[in-house]
Amino acid sequence: MNIIVCIKQVPNVTKVSWDADGSLIRSGLPTIINPVDKNAIEAALQLKEKHGGKVTVISMGPDQVQEALLEALCMGADDAIQLTDKAFAGADTWATSYTLGVTIEKIGKYDLVITGVEAMDGNTAQVGPQIAEHLGIPLLSYATDIEVSGSTVKIKQKLGDVSRLLEASLPVLITVEKEINEYRVMPIDKILEAFEKDIPVWGADSIPADVVNLGLKGSPTRLRKVFSPKLEKGRVEMLEGTPEDISRQLADKLSAKFLI
Amino acid sequence: MDFTISPLNRMIIKAAKEFNERVMPGIDAYMAEHNDYPPYLIELYAKHRMLGFNVPKEYGGLGTTNFNMILLLEELGKSGSTSFIPLMMNNSIGETICHWGTEEQKKKFVPPLCDGSAWATMAFTEPDTGSDPRMLMTTARPDGDDFIINGSKRFISMVNKPGYGIFICKDLSLAGQKTDTTAFIIDKSSPGISFSGHYEFTGLEGADTCDVFFNDVRVPKGNILGKQGQGYSILLRWIAGERIQQAAGMVGCGQRAYEEAKKYSLQRIVAGKPMGMMQGFYWQLAEMKVKVEACRLMVYKAILKQDAGEPFEVVSAEVKVFTTPLIQEVTRTAVQFHGSYGYSKEYLVDKLFRLAMHQGVMASSLEINKTIAGMSALMSKSS
Repeated sequence: MNIIVCIKQVPNVTKVSWDADGSLIRSGLPTIINPVDKNAIEAALQLKEKHGGKVTVISMGPDQVQEALLEALCMGADDAIQLTDKAFAGADTWATSYTLGVTIEKIGKYDLVITGVEAMDGNTAQVGPQIAEHLGIPLLSYATDIEVSGSTVKIKQKLGDVSRLLEASLPVLITVEKEINEYRVMPIDKILEAFEKDIPVWGADSIPADVVNLGLKGSPTRLRKVFSPKLEKGRVEMLEGTPEDISRQLADKLSAKFLI
Repeated sequence: MDFTISPLNRMIIKAAKEFNERVMPGIDAYMAEHNDYPPYLIELYAKHRMLGFNVPKEYGGLGTTNFNMILLLEELGKSGSTSFIPLMMNNSIGETICHWGTEEQKKKFVPPLCDGSAWATMAFTEPDTGSDPRMLMTTARPDGDDFIINGSKRFISMVNKPGYGIFICKDLSLAGQKTDTTAFIIDKSSPGISFSGHYEFTGLEGADTCDVFFNDVRVPKGNILGKQGQGYSILLRWIAGERIQQAAGMVGCGQRAYEEAKKYSLQRIVAGKPMGMMQGFYWQLAEMKVKVEACRLMVYKAILKQDAGEPFEVVSAEVKVFTTPLIQEVTRTAVQFHGSYGYSKEYLVDKLFRLAMHQGVMASSLEINKTIAGMSALMSKSS
């Protein structure tokens, strides 16, 4: 079973600090593998351990994304491919999924593509489904369990309070939730092996992509502004009455401010 | 000597930190409840491939350096957990058998020490001696193709766990010769072996160190490690490596004690400002930090000598002489920073202090290492 895992390197937001104006201090911010993408790697490794095959991890980003790919190899992935090119810069989710999709097509034979549900910096949950769309394969999203039998894959899907069992024929793309597994601590032997491996860097010329679909140029989304909500000092108003009265008063006040 | 921490070294440290954060709490919770190692502990280390660092891959090891291992041990030492001791033992006994053993012994005994199916042990100490081979009372008497072992060993770690141990005995077939100790690899589940309950130490909570008794225990001659009469040499070489590993763990212990003291001194408000802002405290923090760093560099120097294949017995003794009092002092100071809280089991510094005390008396005493280092200095022709 050949599995391709798409991962993203993100700022470690547990170590974020803000300046006096409330803006995120980005310089020197450590980066990590998007946590749920580690669950995606773990899911792939477990399937490989059960069914054999190979796990290839790909990631698009600046040079430092190699650190994330190296860590994926240290967890036990067989291969890693780094997608780095100025032409990829500024990609929105559509251009990102196009680039990853084209890359997967170039890699060729695969049975499964696995991604985390969403990245902790963007929280769009769009890239995985859009890759499936690009590849023209079924999407099984929000998986908390995966079971492969022959050419069929079943997942347990978590949709809020509802769980569903979904089934599809391979190949498919699965987006996984963090509840799917506890990802492994990097085993020492895999760390030693990882440092013996090369991580090839693929640019726009390495993949069969139409350049108009890459990066900022290929992105239909335009970001107008990023800002931190301004903190304002306000008056504390204590509501009194029975819990029901208080709830009603609170709802009325929020409604009057168009907050609900 | 190059002390650079490479990207590979850093990744091993990262894995060890993750192990501390995600796996160690479960181990420690088990040990707190059961006052013993979890029965699956060695398998767990094997699963994370933390065994057999300096054992060739053909015997199930990792085929890497001891330096990588001590980086791991330093991180594990930061947890204050006792559970790094079996990890050290399986690594060092595997390496020792590879160094002294026959091809047959390496193939038979080393892979189980790397794959987590055997717990390793080393046994020399007896009720009447901890370092003098002439005082050994446990005997090995030849009988056909076997030796028959009788006697007892004291303070033996993991001896009641399934697996293999190296036991140093007085070899009766060498009676009257200058060196009459022989090392035997013994299956700890052999008929005739029994154990005491385990000791309760000042620190090392949950350690299963106990006495072991041999009553006509039959061991094949093929299980002699090295040559007859080399038992004490095997012990000395093994314990030299073990001392460096132990010191690496204690560097971690000292580092954590320093970090805890620093954290507390920033949290604790005295007269309207953090306690650490007072000169009396930040001067002590400076001393703690540099003491730990100096110990770390001493450990690096010793392990790099071992990895380079140079003699390391004396430098290992020097590591013990240098690091033991310093790390103990750092952990004691960390307790003092915390006041009465530091003397309470609610705070980690209490555990770290008690853990650091073991270095002075276990894996050879501080004093015997002063003898090794001092005699070596005295007899050395170089300065």
